[in-house]
Amino acid sequence: MVADAFRILVIEADRDEAVRLRELLDGCARGIGAIETSVLADSHSALDNCPQFRPDLVIYGPAAAPRATPEDLQLLRTRAGPEPVPILFVKSERETLGSACLQTGCDDILVRPYNPNLVQLKLAALQRFCDFNRSLLAQRNRMRQHHADLLQEQASARQIFSNMGRESCLDQTRAIRYHLSPRAVLNGDVLAAAYAPGGKLMMLLGDFTGHGLAAAVGAVPLTSIFYSMVPKGFSLCHILRELNAKLHRVLPGNMFCCAVMLELDPHKQYGRLFNGGMPSACLRCGSGNLRMLESRHLPLGVLAETEVDEAVIHFPLETGDYLYLWSDGIHEARNLKGEMFGEQRLLDAVSAPMVEGRRFEHILAAVNHFGAEQHDDLSLVEVALADVVPRSTTGSEMGSEPDLEIGRLGNWSINFTLGPEELRDADPLPLLHSVLAQVPGAANFQDSLAIVLGELFRNALEHGLLRLDSALKRTDRGFAEYYRQLDSGRRRLSGGWIRIALRCRDRSGRGLLEVIVEDSGPGLPEGNAGRGNSYSGRGLRLLRAICRRLQVKPGSSRVRAVLDWGQVASRSRRLRKLAI
Amino acid sequence: MVVSARSGARVSSELSKGGEALTIRVCGNFDFNMHREFQRAYQNLSPAPKRYRIDLSETQHLDSAALGMLLLLRDHCLGGEEDEGQCRVELLNANDHVEKILLVSNFDKIFTLR
Repeated sequence: MVADAFRILVIEADRDEAVRLRELLDGCARGIGAIETSVLADSHSALDNCPQFRPDLVIYGPAAAPRATPEDLQLLRTRAGPEPVPILFVKSERETLGSACLQTGCDDILVRPYNPNLVQLKLAALQRFCDFNRSLLAQRNRMRQHHADLLQEQASARQIFSNMGRESCLDQTRAIRYHLSPRAVLNGDVLAAAYAPGGKLMMLLGDFTGHGLAAAVGAVPLTSIFYSMVPKGFSLCHILRELNAKLHRVLPGNMFCCAVMLELDPHKQYGRLFNGGMPSACLRCGSGNLRMLESRHLPLGVLAETEVDEAVIHFPLETGDYLYLWSDGIHEARNLKGEMFGEQRLLDAVSAPMVEGRRFEHILAAVNHFGAEQHDDLSLVEVALADVVPRSTTGSEMGSEPDLEIGRLGNWSINFTLGPEELRDADPLPLLHSVLAQVPGAANFQDSLAIVLGELFRNALEHGLLRLDSALKRTDRGFAEYYRQLDSGRRRLSGGWIRIALRCRDRSGRGLLEVIVEDSGPGLPEGNAGRGNSYSGRGLRLLRAICRRLQVKPGSSRVRAVLDWGQVASRSRRLRKLAI
Repeated sequence: MVVSARSGARVSSELSKGGEALTIRVCGNFDFNMHREFQRAYQNLSPAPKRYRIDLSETQHLDSAALGMLLLLRDHCLGGEEDEGQCRVELLNANDHVEKILLVSNFDKIFTLR
């Protein structure tokens, strides 16, 4: 078999006719290149021969043509392979272009007596047709292969992404319900959640530009930073600044990540939310009122550096309140007429009176009922704000007895002093947490310790040094003003210090941890201890519940707290009662 | 064989006399399908214009890919130096829907909206 020759299968029982046809075709070879001809007597032997010869063209000679049946032709075409093979009949000029031959299903005819020029033209045209088909099939096969490879790669990538998601605490609490529905195999929307020291819940819903692999890849740096910083106790704003800077460095110029990030503190019963470029989150109060928490910042990754503090929205946590987050895939779900689902329909679904616990399904059903085709990745998250139970509680419920596992505690102390430079923008808590995490037994009451350190440090900074007024925090607007003052006060700080001293004393396995926090401020105003300016309500109640002793003296800037290093189980039960 | 319908969107551009200001008008859906046309509209101009005006009066919808293209134009106009003064890209005549998309993303903080 000559490679690249144009292969013609001739079916003709009459020897003379067969010879004439072969000569005719060989004559054409000069015009159109190599031709390989195979002559067989009937359809039956042609069918047998087809798979080996793989003809580009089949010609039924004048004697064979009248005997061909539609079934023969169909079988020939099937056997010849995936490329369409034209079948020609030889007919004499005298025969009418009869319906008989057309009904058999041939593609064209050769007229006898033969006109070599016309035959050559026809063969050349058919050869171009065959070449075209061949390249089309080759392209199709290549695309099929690429598509199969792509799906395979995406399936592997999806596996990696879903494994990364295991770090989240999304399935550890009943307070969070979520639905993530990627448009393709991979998701450009990402949801991450983790508990911070002190039992705070941190959550992030992000939506990368576009969808598919490029969008999903952005989730890697995002989640790795989130899951490494949250458990170390970094603040909301610090984590956001880090995420923004990292995404700015790694993403191409036309990509960014719209994100909502929130922090829920079940002990102090407040929430903080940052929205950069996402649709407004919706806070549904028990009363049925809706409050929209709108985007106040550019998406993450747009600017190299950014101030996120002023974009953070504060809100109280009340029993019966729910927070709803969504990506714009929900707004932009379209029906058959091309209308978008839109914010109004979404809010109608959120505010509809409903048996508690059914609203999430109701909203999803409303979107799915409306939308005909999914155009974008689609995400919906519901958080029952009052039910965000801290992790330590679930730990003690599971029956672990931490005080039994503590070995030697050791006698040690740490002293830590922060000057104005550090206080301006550094966050000393993650550093302290990482040091304390190395101490034997510390893991068992990391949460209590985080709360105490956090409260005492913030008290020293906000009230001791910056003299901020907690009374401001009684209203929503005041809350925002308070944090604005905190932010600007911190940036203007030019003098002062905060000293943190930790001392552990081992008393045969049941030790005491003493935490002393002192600042350079003038101290607590006389007659105000425990109320008003210093510890507004919740903070103090919380500290008293956790600590064995708490010493706050009017006129002094020194606060001393003593914790039992070992009676964790009973303490955290008390803590839980307080949170509920 | 199904060939996806081509969006009816178009990009046209006009350079002011003297080449100081370039106006790019985007009609229809400003989305990923326009990225080549949109980039072609402002690249390889010599001397580079000092001001860029994006006329959105004929723009019906704008997606996050379009926001990305605007960021690329901003990078192009800043020439890699972020602090080099105010970026001279103006977004003009956006309809309510398009303006809302720009505002949700807070693009008014890095572009001039008019």
